[in-house]
Amino acid sequence: MPTVVVMDVSLSMTRPVSLEGSEEYQRKHLAAHGLTMLFEHMATNYKLEFTALVVFSSLWELMVPFTRDYNTLQEALSNMDDYDKTCLESALVGVCNIVQQEWGGAIPCQVVLVTDGCLGIGRGSLRHSLATHSQRSENNRFPLPFPFPSKLYIMCMANLEELQSTDSLDCLERLIDLNNGEGQIFTIDGPLCLKNVQSMFGKLIDLAYTPFHAVLKCGHLTADVQVFPRPEPFVVDEEIDPIPKVINTEGDEVGTGITDDNEDENSANQIAGKIPNFCVLLHGSLKVEGMVAIVQLGPEWHGMLYSQADSKKKSNLMMSLFEPGPEPLPWLGKMAQLGPISDAKENPYGEDDNKSPFPLQPKNKRSYAQNVTVWIKPSGLQTDVQKILRNARKLPEKTQTFYKELNRLRKAALAFGFLDLLKGVADMLERECTLLPDTAHPDAAFQLTHAAQQLKLASTGTSEYAGYDHNITPLQTDFSGSSTERM
Amino acid sequence: MKIFSESHKTVFVVDHCPYMAESCRQHVEFDMLVKNRTQGIIPLAPISKSLWTCSVESSMEYCRIMYDIFPFRKLLMAALAAVGPPNPRADPECCSILHGLVAAVETLCKITEYQHEARTLLMENAERVGNRGRIICITNAKSDSHVRMLEDCVQETIHEHNKLAANSDHLMQIQKCELVLIHTYPVGEDSLVSDRPKKELSPVLTSEVHSVRAGRHLATKLNILVQQHFDLASTTITNIPMKEEQHANTSANYDVELLHHKDAHVDFLKSGDTHLGGSSREGSFKETITLKWCTPRTNNIELHYCTGAYRISPVDVNSRPSSCLTNFLLNGRSVLLEQPRKSGSKVISHMLSSHGGEIFLHVLSSSRSILEDPPSISEGCGGRVTDYRITDFGEFMRENRLTPFLDPRYKIDGSLEIPLERAKDQLEKHTRYWPMIISQTTIFNMQAVVPLASVIVKESLTEEDVLNCQKTIYNLVDMERKNDPLPISTVGTRGKGPKRDEQYRIMWNELETLVRAHINNSEKHQRVLECLMACRSKPPEEEERKKRGRKREDKEDKSEKTVKDYEQEKSWQDSERLKGILERGKEELAEAEIIKDSPDSPEPPNKKPLVEMDNPPPVEKSKGPVSLLSFWSNRINTANSRKHQEFAGRLNSVNNRAELYQHLKEENGMETTENGKASRQ
Repeated sequence: MPTVVVMDVSLSMTRPVSLEGSEEYQRKHLAAHGLTMLFEHMATNYKLEFTALVVFSSLWELMVPFTRDYNTLQEALSNMDDYDKTCLESALVGVCNIVQQEWGGAIPCQVVLVTDGCLGIGRGSLRHSLATHSQRSENNRFPLPFPFPSKLYIMCMANLEELQSTDSLDCLERLIDLNNGEGQIFTIDGPLCLKNVQSMFGKLIDLAYTPFHAVLKCGHLTADVQVFPRPEPFVVDEEIDPIPKVINTEGDEVGTGITDDNEDENSANQIAGKIPNFCVLLHGSLKVEGMVAIVQLGPEWHGMLYSQADSKKKSNLMMSLFEPGPEPLPWLGKMAQLGPISDAKENPYGEDDNKSPFPLQPKNKRSYAQNVTVWIKPSGLQTDVQKILRNARKLPEKTQTFYKELNRLRKAALAFGFLDLLKGVADMLERECTLLPDTAHPDAAFQLTHAAQQLKLASTGTSEYAGYDHNITPLQTDFSGSSTERM
Repeated sequence: MKIFSESHKTVFVVDHCPYMAESCRQHVEFDMLVKNRTQGIIPLAPISKSLWTCSVESSMEYCRIMYDIFPFRKLLMAALAAVGPPNPRADPECCSILHGLVAAVETLCKITEYQHEARTLLMENAERVGNRGRIICITNAKSDSHVRMLEDCVQETIHEHNKLAANSDHLMQIQKCELVLIHTYPVGEDSLVSDRPKKELSPVLTSEVHSVRAGRHLATKLNILVQQHFDLASTTITNIPMKEEQHANTSANYDVELLHHKDAHVDFLKSGDTHLGGSSREGSFKETITLKWCTPRTNNIELHYCTGAYRISPVDVNSRPSSCLTNFLLNGRSVLLEQPRKSGSKVISHMLSSHGGEIFLHVLSSSRSILEDPPSISEGCGGRVTDYRITDFGEFMRENRLTPFLDPRYKIDGSLEIPLERAKDQLEKHTRYWPMIISQTTIFNMQAVVPLASVIVKESLTEEDVLNCQKTIYNLVDMERKNDPLPISTVGTRGKGPKRDEQYRIMWNELETLVRAHINNSEKHQRVLECLMACRSKPPEEEERKKRGRKREDKEDKSEKTVKDYEQEKSWQDSERLKGILERGKEELAEAEIIKDSPDSPEPPNKKPLVEMDNPPPVEKSKGPVSLLSFWSNRINTANSRKHQEFAGRLNSVNNRAELYQHLKEENGMETTENGKASRQ
């Protein structure tokens, strides 16, 4: 999950912090100290995540675009100048733009806002922004909630008492509320000093940046893995199931069958490279065989493992999580119903690997996969009538299709209560009968008359003839047996 | 969307009163004359649908779209036909819409299968399952006050039924009901009822009124409603090249409009990019996003960034362009969809593809991927090991493939058997002894062992299986007698590797490990082991003598290694964190070492430290089964040895006492070699 660090560089951040018996610190030094700690933590535990650094005062600037290079971020921290007043809204708009340009609207991001709790004055101050919040038009929408899944963490270089002495805390809390409650405010416990800043950032790390370690198991074959990005708890339905589903850290690889985005990466070090690891074996075989493995992450939560290669030669084992539920991919059926092929009477993949039990066909065909009757547009009705006519002209060869189409029309007309149509089509068939050329098979005339008569009966709506399940059957004639010879 | 939102239950109430038999006054030409037909025939007079037909037809269309996208209930077409069209001469009183509304409320109180399931699942929290519903009522109202009367009726009925439901286990109180009243009237007449947006009549009931002309206007209205009710959005696919019916060699471009869940547009909605293709068609209220057809490609690399798949339903299902597109997709091909841009590179944002007879709109991420430039797996743990049994594991995976078992199966004790658990069981069995790299195994490199290795992992053996296993063992004995070479890996060993008889000893040990791992599966497995033990056993004196003669050439103890590997794998599944093991392991290490050299270990006697080789074997040295303690200790031991290089002294110690400067006595620095091996594991 990418992170945007938004650092307040307004003048108020240069307020000195009184520390006994040491050199003078400013709040921005404390902030930089905390961020250094965060970056160091991420460099070791989160090295595949992207982080960007934005500084703001009345203007904002993207100091470091999204990068995995934590040295660059670290350097930028030490090269920050002091500017004028705090103007949070514009900075948050900046964050929106940066994230959307880089990742679009679907990738979750964490925003770490570092400020001192002085929210600016006049236009552009947070108080002003919040006061005018209800009068926004679509064009100057308040940037919260962020237009992407997000968590907003506000790191205050101030302690609770200081913030509560003004309405700062209330304003910041409103920010979190505006972000649909996604986020948290952190304040310094006790006096402002390096140690307490560290413990504050420590809390942030515990909450949002703990590495995700898990064990990948396939029977007795196992491997320790770390997953990037960290899979987040998932709330399926806040009403029925308000407890977020959390991934068991012991994943079970349950077998192979046939997309989201996660990545397994093993904390690499030189010695570990030489010890056989199940991940490498699995990856290699999945790649060679072109298969994916289904992995179970918790009750009714599954994902898949596969070899993912970027354009270059590098490839790695990737894990994609499915949406939690008993049947995440409808064409695989229920996950719990997947069993080993050895239990099947015959190998469903065929002896030469030429078949597959997948995809499963749904019990009911979708409307577009079956011949549905929709007459909302006249063209739908016309097509159906034309079909009957076309077949009528090719009687008796097309007797079967003629009656099939005729019965389909009859059923639909009855269902829709469209009896006028039945009468109309009956008239039409009668007319067709008169138009038959001399060369026509005599059976054609018989069948047309019979069909027209049946439709007329149905159009009266009397239950005897208008039964929905009733089908018009072809008239039994003497010609039908020998018709082919005569033609 | 919540599972049990208003959209969980929808009841259609279509007015069946005589007035609904009235014509909608929109003519339908059904007798279309084809050009080449005889001239001079006057087409039959156009017919028109009744209000009833229009209403039924539109409701059906609403259902069709809903079932396509949320396939969980079944259409009720036959029931409609039984009702038949309204009789214009019937008494208006006896078929009042009020009865329908009352029945609708009753139906809403009934617990659905899904609600029942959820309630059973939640047990004491069953009250969390909501009961909300929607009534769509298509009628012809006389006036605004008539509409109000209908609303009051629903209001009152809900009140009454909720009282009833409170005392019933089979009924649920309605928490929220959305009443959608659609007043429909023939084209050309003035509406007597005015539109009214959604209004809360009581905490339980909200109501809205739509006044719509019949015919296609009604159908359009219901199409909009189904989109609102089920959070749908519309995508129009443009530039579909289609062969002309008449001229097969020309093609024209067509558009097809599809409906799907609006999450498929998440990227456009969030970025406010709706202007992108948001053209309005058929009136000003209909928003659709236009995407361009892209000639299908086989390269599916883009799929890796697929962030979601949504079912679709074509708006105009049986039009020619729609059915052409859906058939194309149902035949297994996919279509990439491109955002129309005035300039710049093309951006593929969606893909249409079918899975098992259902078409899905796949959302492809068009922005930068957070997964870009992943490290290569060869940079990670185990990345530099080169002799993984990749092909063997591929074979293993193919044997463990999954297939759906749709019919429930039961275990002997009558409980339901979960196929997925069976699959996991099988994985457990198949991996009891599964060395990951070629140099860790001998038997899996031998074609001669395959008949045994492939069946021994089974849950139960047939007589024939046992026979095959025995044959395999005899065959191996035969090979040993003939002194055939074995494919023992010499990777990491110095010189030529172990001698032939030592190779066989290693092989037999490994085979025993494999068979022993499955010994508890059945009595027949036991018989295989008995056969194996009988065939491989040799007079211990002879063994001992041989070994003494050979002892200096023993560069490494292969058999010990393979067993260790098995232990090691067992230890891995035991997901103890490194620290814990390190702490405890240190204390247990000494003990473990002793046990390793103790008689309980399955290895032949020569595995004790080489320093001691010339001393008489300890009295307790004898063969026996592996004890639980030694299993455990070995496991801890191997877990430890992976973390650090073992002290040479401790490794060679006897009863925790190590002889210093032994290399002065020994030749060739054999100890260091062995240490090197140990640390690898």
